[in-house]
Amino acid sequence: MIVAIDQNLCTGCRECAEVCPAYAIVGEQGQPQTIDTDRCVMCGQCVQKCKSYVSILTHGKKAYDRVKKERNIPDSVQEPLFAAYAVCNLDKVKEALADKNKFTIVQCAPAVRVAIAEEFGADLGTLTPGKLSAALHTLGFDRVYDTNFPADVTIMEEGTELVKRVTEGGVLPMFTSCCPAWVKFLENNYPELSDHLSSAKSPQQIGGAIFKTYGAQLEGKTGEDIFSVSVMPCTCKEFESERPEMKDSGFRDVDVAITTRDLAWLIKDMGIDWDALEDQEFDQPLGLYTGAGTIFGVTGGVMEAAIRTGYELVTGQPIPDLEVTAVRGTEGFRTSVIKVGDLDLKVGVVTGLKNVIPVLEAVKNGTLDLHFIEVMTCPEGCVSGGGQPKLLMDTDREAAYANRRAATFAHDRELTYRKSHENPAIKKIYEEFLEEPNSHIAHHLLHTKYCLK
Amino acid sequence: MKKEIGSFVVGDSTKCTGCKACEVACFTVHNRKSNHVGNTVGTVTVPVTPRLFLTRFEQGCMPIQCKHCEDAPCLNACSKGAISRIDHQVIVDAEKCIGCKDCMQACPFGAIALLPYAKDGRLVAQPMAEEPKVFASKCDLCAGIEGGPACVKVCPHQALRLVDPEAEREEKNIRAAESLLLTKDWR
Repeated sequence: MIVAIDQNLCTGCRECAEVCPAYAIVGEQGQPQTIDTDRCVMCGQCVQKCKSYVSILTHGKKAYDRVKKERNIPDSVQEPLFAAYAVCNLDKVKEALADKNKFTIVQCAPAVRVAIAEEFGADLGTLTPGKLSAALHTLGFDRVYDTNFPADVTIMEEGTELVKRVTEGGVLPMFTSCCPAWVKFLENNYPELSDHLSSAKSPQQIGGAIFKTYGAQLEGKTGEDIFSVSVMPCTCKEFESERPEMKDSGFRDVDVAITTRDLAWLIKDMGIDWDALEDQEFDQPLGLYTGAGTIFGVTGGVMEAAIRTGYELVTGQPIPDLEVTAVRGTEGFRTSVIKVGDLDLKVGVVTGLKNVIPVLEAVKNGTLDLHFIEVMTCPEGCVSGGGQPKLLMDTDREAAYANRRAATFAHDRELTYRKSHENPAIKKIYEEFLEEPNSHIAHHLLHTKYCLK
Repeated sequence: MKKEIGSFVVGDSTKCTGCKACEVACFTVHNRKSNHVGNTVGTVTVPVTPRLFLTRFEQGCMPIQCKHCEDAPCLNACSKGAISRIDHQVIVDAEKCIGCKDCMQACPFGAIALLPYAKDGRLVAQPMAEEPKVFASKCDLCAGIEGGPACVKVCPHQALRLVDPEAEREEKNIRAAESLLLTKDWR
């Protein structure tokens, strides 16, 4: 169970069913709803939407503590609890942090740094990478790395794969595979199109695989010594980390994935004063990242990052305008043609999983002439993910998404490196460990075959 | 025209789905300053204390809230002077309220609930008991809160509306006059 609805709390309003992209919420109006786990993609949009809270008037004074206990939520949490909720695995994280024999490595996704401060009263979309890193250091993680680094690796791997598919006649269009809810949706509903998915793992899993191999080597340790935690804006990342194929190093890539909200709970539970935290850097080398890595957090970001690098891979020249505004935006499906030397690269971006159905139908019918399509399940990409801080009022939703997007692009602009292939730590890991993109070892550790069911 | 009687919010059970977005919004805007509630759930450290109450009945559901009665039974019943009329609205002073329930008894609509009282992000304890102090929680039409009644704004189905009874009476008078004009030829 990753996402669930509490039958005792659900009022049957079915507002969650309106936002569920997988039509997985079943039940009659006015009656408690259930989740069809075969259909559910665990995106957590229902968790974000639900307002049916544990109420003193409706459920009694003791209900709150009971529900908190049932859900394994730290006792220090005092915020409202709602009928739709996601699994809380903080006990596993606490246990690992307390275990002196475990070398703990944490990574956090790009969208976490533009939202977590909201849980401490900051304005919507406040950018706080320094405080985030400081909090993770204070919690006691041995290494505070960053998902933005493996996002840069993803670009090297997925970008190379795309160029190969385009120039050597592979299956097109190629779909991104960063979003585990999207991958699950494809497996559930269009398994015949699975060859279109990029074989590259998601940044989370690439990070996990690197930390337990190259990362372990850097510490003079083995994969067995490492406990790998990821902090994600996403409820589905825990599901992805539990997939049986995600252990190519011989160890689980990621041992536990928690959400942005979970981390805020943990910070409070450990008595850390967020406001007093002084900015800290992410640890080197696997926490050095580019603007290309950080824009993975918004819809169109993976595409833009891929084009920044892919342009140079194909033409040998740097891209004239680094900000590929043609692929930005928030519409559910948008396409553009990017001039890459002699090649007209035809790309599409899908955000909001419901919008992918006509796209998939068109791919099936052979009526969609595109090379590369990015798909993200949540409304505006990971900044609007199911594990992000939950809004008390939906009237703030537009501003929340817009501010988190703006903060992501602002962060991209302020970083020293803005193209994945220019990241010195990327150059180094390929020199020392991965050899070259799509090499044998890269394929073994960082790529996978989905659709095992 | 000068406003002479109080407005109120009314729900529509034909539109309401029972999602409680109104209750959460009501709590949120009333606790921004007093209990440091921000935009997200994680900023909340006190129990949710709404001032309107989602009510289920055989034919459906809708929120019930104060009508801001002109001859308000709650105001008349309060022996502590904790309820007063300010700018035509019936307002509870939570600091003065002792939780005696006289107003609850008096209200014909059940628009008042006794709920825990919190200040500065914490429940306020009673002087001589472990239980938190309670207060008569009822709609104040978001008095002093920017943007007016939050429940009306957040409802995803426009199932709540702010009623200005005098303005609505006048509007109905005009509609009645117009329809009477149509019947003139047959009189």
